[in-house]
Amino acid sequence: MLAVELVDIWKRFPGVVANAGATLGVRSGSVHAVLGENGAGKSTLMNVLAGVYQPDEGSVVLNGEPQRFASPADAIACGVGMVHQEFRLIPTFTVTENVVLGAAPTRLDRGSLRAQVGELAERFGLLTDPGRPVWQLSMGERQRVEILKALWRDASVLILDEPTAVLTPGEAVELGRVTRAMADDGRSVIFISHKLDEVTAFCDEATVMRGGATVAASLPVGELDASRLAELMVGQATAVSQRRQRAAQVDGEQSPALVVRDLRVRDVHGRAVVDDVSLDVRPGEIVGIAGVAGNGQRPLADAIAGLSPAEHGQVVVADADLSTASPAARSAAGLSYVPEDRLGVGLAPRLDAVENAVMRSYRRFARRRIVDRAASRAHTEGLIDRYRVKVARMDAPLAGLSGGNLQRLLVGRELDEKPTVVVAAQPTRGLDVQGVAAIQQILLDQSAAGVAVLLISEDLDELLALSDRLLVMHGGAVVASFDPDDADRTAIGAAMAGAVSTEGVS
Amino acid sequence: MGLRLARRESPVRGGQVLAFAVGLLAALVVGAALLAMSGHAPIEVYRSMFDAALGSPRGWSATLTRAVPLGLAGLAVAIAGSMGLWNIGAEGQIIAGAIGGAWVARLAPDLAGPALIPLMLLAAVAGGAALALGPAIARARLGVNEIITTLMLNEVAIRIVRYLVNGPWKDPDGNNFPVAPVLPEQSGLPTLFERSNIGVVIAAVVVIGVGWYAARSTWGYELRIAGSSERAAEYVGISLKAKLFSVLVVSGAIAGLAGGIELTGSSTRLVEGVANGYGFAGIIVAALALMRPSGVAAVAIAFGAVQIGGESIQTQGVPSAISNLLQALILFGALAAAVWVNYRVVRTGRSVEGGAGSAAAAGAGA
Repeated sequence: MLAVELVDIWKRFPGVVANAGATLGVRSGSVHAVLGENGAGKSTLMNVLAGVYQPDEGSVVLNGEPQRFASPADAIACGVGMVHQEFRLIPTFTVTENVVLGAAPTRLDRGSLRAQVGELAERFGLLTDPGRPVWQLSMGERQRVEILKALWRDASVLILDEPTAVLTPGEAVELGRVTRAMADDGRSVIFISHKLDEVTAFCDEATVMRGGATVAASLPVGELDASRLAELMVGQATAVSQRRQRAAQVDGEQSPALVVRDLRVRDVHGRAVVDDVSLDVRPGEIVGIAGVAGNGQRPLADAIAGLSPAEHGQVVVADADLSTASPAARSAAGLSYVPEDRLGVGLAPRLDAVENAVMRSYRRFARRRIVDRAASRAHTEGLIDRYRVKVARMDAPLAGLSGGNLQRLLVGRELDEKPTVVVAAQPTRGLDVQGVAAIQQILLDQSAAGVAVLLISEDLDELLALSDRLLVMHGGAVVASFDPDDADRTAIGAAMAGAVSTEGVS
Repeated sequence: MGLRLARRESPVRGGQVLAFAVGLLAALVVGAALLAMSGHAPIEVYRSMFDAALGSPRGWSATLTRAVPLGLAGLAVAIAGSMGLWNIGAEGQIIAGAIGGAWVARLAPDLAGPALIPLMLLAAVAGGAALALGPAIARARLGVNEIITTLMLNEVAIRIVRYLVNGPWKDPDGNNFPVAPVLPEQSGLPTLFERSNIGVVIAAVVVIGVGWYAARSTWGYELRIAGSSERAAEYVGISLKAKLFSVLVVSGAIAGLAGGIELTGSSTRLVEGVANGYGFAGIIVAALALMRPSGVAAVAIAFGAVQIGGESIQTQGVPSAISNLLQALILFGALAAAVWVNYRVVRTGRSVEGGAGSAAAAGAGA
């Protein structure tokens, strides 16, 4: 008997059919991949299974019994747990508090709860410190807390929505072990992804979705043909990011567009999370920064953009010293920043598309402080058109858009300001194949046009394909520099793990 | 089985007007039952409510005069609300405004009206802003929750006005009533029509003007960005501290103006009850306007009409309890409608252990 059966699920939203007769069957004790592009309806289908959405048509069957979930609580009660892409954790609470929240015994004994959570974590190899507040954790660690939350509620079906999007290669392998441990424990794991190598490495079966429907159900992973799978997913020739042509116009003698010198940032505990980082990016050059999550990439990007204060150090853009400038002044000086948190930092979820699209430029569309609506709307339509953002309604809150569309809007808005330097943090994380290709192409176009790009990514393939130079961060410092043309993955991996000391870093 | 609210992905289009009408209708139907049970003819009561509030120039005059403090207080709350802040202190800021106005009249009782009135209104604006200054600084500099500080300052303002009218400002010819002396005659706002004074015009200009400015200006836009996401606001270079500070002071100033207009328009002297609950009613007005400053004017007039109509039928033998119930029902109906615009009702299944908590957590995270 199948642990999970979703039969002919239809789900419509205003203007969009998200699921059009999708089906899924998952054996218990297996890891089942659901593949598909962004917008293929994977997330919607999983939200139906997790009780977040109610299907318009179709049935949800667990272990042979039809179910109707009116809320996530119903689904949890039936053993379905979901780890969403955007984590739902309370930052000020500890790991333990987050895990037991809403499902704690009446009498709270912090010590024993912590021990129980620690035990559970150990059983499945989910390494965390149960006593640490969540805001101190890296994205990978937060994901483990989310998985623990589901396990704490004794989920027999675990849905992981693009779990590796926030993970480093090493963490992804670790997650593969965790999912296997859960499957061996008799649970079913549904693994949503669009990375074929992960699917072949971690999963037993795969279901492929496109356009809201299932195009191939429960294919045994052993018999998978990667190019056939990709074709099923995309429905057209695959867009595989090619190794880029080395930018010929990068002139070693040219003065760098972005200079960072001895930048140091401390977190609230006084830990140097960015430890005397120096780097240069020349016009037309893409410098990649690799590293395991939580090794200072994010505070480095924030400090360059001016969002968090540096203890000391210099940030120079096009010969202008911006070390103490405000984020707005840095932007005006030609520094564009695509932050890791799209919704919340880059974009305001409750405002509409127009209000989000003009966040950088509204001062230009204002005469005597009154915003010209027609001009800002025209500007937005231009952005939407040029960067192919799909927006159902210009005046609806942005929170309803898919990750890929959000990123296109954000990247489009930032690059439309004609920057001389772009700092892009995880710009393709969580995007589908086409979305990744589109964003990568935009970055390549920018560098071809002479823009200096600092690309922070946890996807080593992306970095190797795009970068002219690859820096590795560990413990807040730049520990190694590689030429992507003859880079040795093992050496890069060792550097990411902190196994090399600083050598001649440029 | 139970019910819960889920936020809509986008508000119902044009739903606000429809919802308001449906809410009103539902309230009138329930109210009719109440009236009939207590031996009154519902249709007649409703007709006389309508006549008293909107059926004649005199009715309009009363309604618009009432809409003045409601609208200004509502605007004060909605302006702060568009940045996600709650100014619960409009009541106290109205009092502070009235005190400011009365103080000017005490200092310069012989000034000509065209000089005295603007000075009094300016002092009222300053008074309201002054009372909001503390919460504004505390919020911007130290992150102190403005709900608590503004709420507590209401009590302070009430104590101050009580002290003044019982002590140093007490009218020696007031038959020992706790009232300040009658204001100089030339301090009264000129009449507009019937019993309305030009306070209606001043309030209309402020409410509509500020509402428009909040909707269309870079200032209002920046408020909305900050209200939606503080990190996003910092990211595009908006100074959060300056915004937090300025919006709370402006909010207090607008409420203070309401106090000034009440003093120079509807009242003849400073009394303890000058704010008359308008500051708290302003929270309801702002909520009904969905915290959009541009929606405040219409809501204030409708709310004023409900109050005037409700008060008028008390003179026709309908007990005040029923009259108050009717007013409350109409407000409930309208509030429920406002909620419906942004939320939909979802049926929840059987309750499970810890289910409510997890559902709430999921909802909060969504």
